[in-house]
Amino acid sequence: MAVVVFALGVAGCGSSSSSGGTIIRGTTDKPVSYDPAGAYDLPSYDVIYAVYQNLLTVPPGGNTAQPEAAQSCTFKDPTTYECTMRAGDKFSDGSTLDSKDVKFSFDRNIKIKDPNGASSLLANVKSIDAPDPKTVVFNLAAPDATFPLVLTAASFAIVPADGPNAYAADKLQPSTSITGSGRYTLASYKPSTQTVLQKSAGYSGTDPAKNDQVIIQYYDKSSALKLALQNGEVDIAYRSLSPTDVSSLKGASGVNIVSGTGTEIRYLVFNTRLQPGSTDAQKLAVRQAVAQTVDRAAIAKDVYNGTVKPLYSMVPQGLKYADQAFLDAYGASPNLAAAKKTLADAGVKTPVPLEVWWTPSHYGPSSGDEYAAIKQQLDDSGLFNVTLKDTEWTQYSTAAFTNKYPAYQLGWFPDYPDADDYTASFYSKDSFLNIGYNNPQMEKLLADEKASTSDATRQKDFTQIQKIGAQDVPTVPIWQADQVAAVRDGITGVQETFDPSFIFRYWLISKN
Amino acid sequence: MARQGTSLRTYVLTRIALSIPTVLILLTMVFLLMRVAPGNPIQAALGGHVSEKQIQARSKRAGYDKPIVTQYVNYLGDAVTGHLGNSLTDHRSIGSILVENGSATLELSIAAFAVALVVGLSIGILAGRFRDSPIDLGGRLFGIFIYAAPVFFTGFLAQLFFSHTLGWLPSSGRVSPLTEFDLSQGAQPTHFYLIDSLVTGNFSAFWDAVQHLILPAVTLGLLISGVLIRLVRVNLMQTMKGDYVEAARARGISERRVVIKHAFRNALVPVVTVAGLQFATLLGGAILTEETFNWPGIGSELVRYLNERDYIAVQGIVTVFAIAVVVVSLLIDLVNAFVDPRVRY
Amino acid sequence: MAAAVPKGSAKARRFAGLRRMVAEVRAARGVPKWILYSGIAIVAFFVILAIFAPLIAPYGFDQVQSGAVRFPKQAAPSGAHLFGTTVQSTDVLSRVIFGSRTALEVVLLAVVISLFVGVPLGLISGYLGGKLDRGLVLIMDALFAFPYLLLAIVIAFLLSDKIGQGIVTAAVSITVVYVPQYFRVVRNHVISVREEPYVEAARALGAKRRTIVGRYVFQNVIQNVPVIATLNAADAILTLAALGFLGYGIQPTQAAEWGYDISRAIDDAGAGIWWTGLFPGLAIVLLVTGFTLVGEGLNDVLNPVIRYRRIKPPQIPADEEAS
Repeated sequence: MAVVVFALGVAGCGSSSSSGGTIIRGTTDKPVSYDPAGAYDLPSYDVIYAVYQNLLTVPPGGNTAQPEAAQSCTFKDPTTYECTMRAGDKFSDGSTLDSKDVKFSFDRNIKIKDPNGASSLLANVKSIDAPDPKTVVFNLAAPDATFPLVLTAASFAIVPADGPNAYAADKLQPSTSITGSGRYTLASYKPSTQTVLQKSAGYSGTDPAKNDQVIIQYYDKSSALKLALQNGEVDIAYRSLSPTDVSSLKGASGVNIVSGTGTEIRYLVFNTRLQPGSTDAQKLAVRQAVAQTVDRAAIAKDVYNGTVKPLYSMVPQGLKYADQAFLDAYGASPNLAAAKKTLADAGVKTPVPLEVWWTPSHYGPSSGDEYAAIKQQLDDSGLFNVTLKDTEWTQYSTAAFTNKYPAYQLGWFPDYPDADDYTASFYSKDSFLNIGYNNPQMEKLLADEKASTSDATRQKDFTQIQKIGAQDVPTVPIWQADQVAAVRDGITGVQETFDPSFIFRYWLISKN
Repeated sequence: MARQGTSLRTYVLTRIALSIPTVLILLTMVFLLMRVAPGNPIQAALGGHVSEKQIQARSKRAGYDKPIVTQYVNYLGDAVTGHLGNSLTDHRSIGSILVENGSATLELSIAAFAVALVVGLSIGILAGRFRDSPIDLGGRLFGIFIYAAPVFFTGFLAQLFFSHTLGWLPSSGRVSPLTEFDLSQGAQPTHFYLIDSLVTGNFSAFWDAVQHLILPAVTLGLLISGVLIRLVRVNLMQTMKGDYVEAARARGISERRVVIKHAFRNALVPVVTVAGLQFATLLGGAILTEETFNWPGIGSELVRYLNERDYIAVQGIVTVFAIAVVVVSLLIDLVNAFVDPRVRY
Repeated sequence: MAAAVPKGSAKARRFAGLRRMVAEVRAARGVPKWILYSGIAIVAFFVILAIFAPLIAPYGFDQVQSGAVRFPKQAAPSGAHLFGTTVQSTDVLSRVIFGSRTALEVVLLAVVISLFVGVPLGLISGYLGGKLDRGLVLIMDALFAFPYLLLAIVIAFLLSDKIGQGIVTAAVSITVVYVPQYFRVVRNHVISVREEPYVEAARALGAKRRTIVGRYVFQNVIQNVPVIATLNAADAILTLAALGFLGYGIQPTQAAEWGYDISRAIDDAGAGIWWTGLFPGLAIVLLVTGFTLVGEGLNDVLNPVIRYRRIKPPQIPADEEAS
């Protein structure tokens, strides 16, 4: 009865977000740290890209590294990378940004070596020099074509070495008091509730923010996020709406679905030591037969309502050098006859008993539906007899990489938008997957593409790498997700920022 | 068994002394549970992205591989001196987690409790007064039904109806995003949004906060009222049969007066006891309400930190929470001892 | 209390308490009887659903197609699917029916384990007293002060690492929450019974400690247990559903679980899909109500405190301690 009393006159509430120039984004992703040295996660990156600048960045729609705080960067020789700074850049506290700040930022990152940070990506950096205020030199231990793209990661944003808000050289800066040279300053941060960014007056770069203020509101559940969007509490709902939310918002009035190419992928991993099959040939046949049986299109349609695309290479579409090696090798749709033949030729008795692991607590609730579907497809072929097992993420990730699961679900998110990150990470014999896969030819190709700065060489190498990956099938790519946001009418600019780099460029968004 | 004549002071001191080992055991239990639970924050955050070797190197750097005894001694020392540290994952001080999220939980709990008292007492009294009448049966059934419904289910229905279908109330959150920012820029003496907004004269923020509070507070309050109804009813029926009530009746005092003036007061004593305990568990059970209504309280933070295996954060929150429970039950005992000398033994 | 004289058939003596209980239940009338019997009817209904689930349910709990035709996704209730279908294309009615099987399995297991752990501990602790008692009370109090869901979640983590996720894991993690309650109630009761004249008498006659605890004290204390057990069963269903709702419970690939279904249904609600959440929710409410009615009814019938026309002064009722 209390409800009735209070509810009078409440109608029409919640649409107070119409003040000029303020963009409100709702999300379910919560950040770890706004100090670049302690960040290695997308929600932190989003804010860091807005508040700081990197030497290099990926421009909207591109997939290569372009100067941001730097004027230009080039390889002087295969292990020396030199950047020239732009003149006149300032941090929001008024202090000058020069090469000393860059060197400080990288040295600090390596020194702090924060357990949650990405300093491991700098393993190849021997030393950094700042011979004069305009020049920074990176001395690399080995040739590395991916280095420019590594520099675009938000973990390597430039922080102030001196000035009123200088960062400590050996300690993380509290996320509530950060200083950068980017398009925004941090106005307020209340962990797991809200982050507020204010357009920075001191930004001197080429494309300043198209809005005055950005509010990032955190939600626990995608359903709450969706409702908040519908009643106008937020302007943009991005990461992550469930497939059901997206489908139901598609027809909703006042709301538009914006999507663009994304590079987040899901794949199935085989541990070549534990998987079924008594010889290497039999094991290979089992893996190939799975690749021939899985119906990616059905998963994309039935489980994800078309918000993901079938994936036919570990390198997702949208990245340079990506192709569709699995499609070429096994066809677009399941080929049961071929799978049957593969198994029969290798003398594998069917149905093959297969234990597949998945986790309910890391890849969203839909992954349970996905694995139920995969089991169904494999079982229905009559070639496999799948047992599904699941456990909570932390234990899952420990067990999976310590040689305990014969086959398991996994996802990947780019460290840097390069094909190398999607091949060397899985196909190298030192891969974190720890699945006992070792192909010398693959090793050679991986080393070659990494060392080469020639586009033609890398193209040739990656074609070969993806082809061998599809032949050996240590992993089966399943799908690649589109970046999907739901925005209210009048919001523009979200489309422009959706590209394989995964940088959410708040500054492109405006509201009329 | 009761040793008469023990002074109140002795009782209080003994009671306080006895709660110290309970707290100690609680601290140990939190610590052990969190260390025995497999995985660590690095594993939770970066597993599936970097190699196992790297994870181990990082864990070592973070000091997660120190001997468990060393960690335990450090933890106890810190807990005793009140240094709860910073969360491992997002580097927040436990103190600020308690202030920012704890206040949200407390604000919701108090509001819910007010609802529960109003609903629980009135239905309980009516049911107890008109025993075995349709009112009694109806009241009891209401109590049972509401207690049988999980808060996330009633919450789901309430959101569906009041927020989605009718559009009367916001479905989740503590205030709308703009109000949140507005409040964060002003003074926040209590971190209770209702109070802070009134104190600073920000009435639109106050109204916004009230609207957001209604659904979760009423949902949770009704749930608790189920317990209260049961209690009040039983206790009222007992006291109604007490000698002094009979005496009052014999003196010709109206039944209405008997119930309100005499029986109810006495029936309230055990109700206060259980209500106090209920309030303590309310904080612990907040997880579900907060998850349902996206309320930025300490319960939902606890679950998040648990998932991330942030044991410093989990330990800190649970420690403070457990101490609060112990203190509440201590207070209840003391109040009872003060009111009713028979309790002291 | 003349029945306590250690003579007569052993069997009759052992079940004297229970027989007395059955007699009291039979003698019940009025509102208590109504409450008790309707509770029993509801629980019995779910037990039948659970036992004969494969026969009653139109489809399997994880079945997404019949013949070669895939079920529609999130279809509204219709002739083909009386309660509609879920986001996984499974049949809601079938999941609700199979869910009763999961719920009752877990609850039965949880209640049995808590009984076998909590009651003996309470008996021993209460009767022996001393250091053991004080230690156990401290530990149980600490467990009691722990946020119960957190406790259940952490135990679920621990167990899923050892025995995997599933019904046993869920049941054991729930058990940990309820053991302290049984312990408390039983121990307190034992302490009061310990000093009763007939126990003193048995002791004076030189009866062994085990005999005294097992025969006289246990007989007396056990009367409280059915009430607590049914009320706890109700609570255990809620805890199981809460675990499922938070994502730590039984996963859909293993069995149907109502709490999990509701957590998925929250996504649906915003899209106007009400049937995926409403039916599992109602099932929870109904089954919990059933157990609570049985517990309350039993309490009314067995607990002399609030019975009419009793001259004895009132005591604190048992369900107060259990709540």
